[in-house]
Amino acid sequence: MNIRCEQLEDLLLEGDVHSMQLAARHASVCASCLEKLTEWNEISDTAKSLKTTWQSDLLWPRIERALRAEKRSSWQSRTMKIAAVVVVTIGLAATSWYAGVVRARQEFGKEILVAVDDVESRQKELERAIGKLENLAESKLESSGTPLMISYKEKLMLLDDAIAECQRNIEQNRRNAHLRKQMLAIYLEKQQTLREVLREGNHESNH
Amino acid sequence: MQEATLPAGLIAVRSHVIKDKIAAHEDDDRRLARACAAGDSSIFEEIYRRFGDRMKSIAYNHLGNVPDAEDAVQDTFIKVHRAASTFTGEAAFSTWIYRILINTCYDLLRKRKRRPEESPIDDVVETAKRTAPTVDDTKRLTLRRLLEELPEQRRTVFELFEIEGLSHAEIASVLGITEGNSKWILFATKKQLQMQWKQAR
Repeated sequence: MNIRCEQLEDLLLEGDVHSMQLAARHASVCASCLEKLTEWNEISDTAKSLKTTWQSDLLWPRIERALRAEKRSSWQSRTMKIAAVVVVTIGLAATSWYAGVVRARQEFGKEILVAVDDVESRQKELERAIGKLENLAESKLESSGTPLMISYKEKLMLLDDAIAECQRNIEQNRRNAHLRKQMLAIYLEKQQTLREVLREGNHESNH
Repeated sequence: MQEATLPAGLIAVRSHVIKDKIAAHEDDDRRLARACAAGDSSIFEEIYRRFGDRMKSIAYNHLGNVPDAEDAVQDTFIKVHRAASTFTGEAAFSTWIYRILINTCYDLLRKRKRRPEESPIDDVVETAKRTAPTVDDTKRLTLRRLLEELPEQRRTVFELFEIEGLSHAEIASVLGITEGNSKWILFATKKQLQMQWKQAR
């Protein structure tokens, strides 16, 4: 195969063994291409001589230490990540639990308020009924001077004081069921006492 | 061309043998990557024994001194450990390691450009043992100086082909370019060096 000078660069670009053999064959009969090829090969030969290696007894132990440290730090960072995930999970769980509790309390609080309103409206009804009895009994208590009526009067005064005291306590704690029960018992006692006053008054006027 | 003269049966046997060898290489590469990801220190020692000398040479020829070259090799092992789980097997394990090493060398060179006083170049050439000491030191020094002035990619292609003896296919895999591109870069670089070679000597 005859090679022309212009084809030398194509062969150098290919650079494989066969192309370089063809280039060398052409250069053996062409002085200018021989010079080019010689320089080309000189660069390659010089480059090959740059391959450098050295004995380094300390390099592998150094790499091993660095790898151990890396493994340790990656283990630590993994542990930290797991710990962070656990903390965040616990935090989220606690927050949602607390939010649930607050919501439940709010729901429960609403129910209690409805119940308290209901109790208070019943209490007012009772107060109105007792008020009517009180109006009826008032004249009987004023007109009669019998010891029995006087003791009824004193009892009613005591019951009114007890009602006022209980009402003060209730205003401080509207949700206190015990105070509400106490108040109801006092009202019922007052109602009963007023009925007895009316019955006794009627009995006296009949005589 | 040579294969055309071989009997068809022999060609089939040869292609089977080549396929088996490639499959064995791929298995070996995956084994290495898996063991690296698991942090198996004996595998790192095996890698060091198999590729360490070439890694040192590549790093030395990029960085120009032994301490920096050793630092680059060490950093590469750390990066291999961190990234082993991402090894897909598309490239050979060795070329994957060389790619990491060369990127590490580029990083060090860029750092050096920012702080030029930190890393003296060519300070320990004497202590490094060359594998081909027959070429005279003047030529070697001239070529080394010319290489330092080349752009990163041209220099790497030249060094990997001419100094380390990697094929264009391997260089293409290391640098993420095509084989044809690698061939062309090498040719253009050598032409440039040839012109400077005359003037420099």
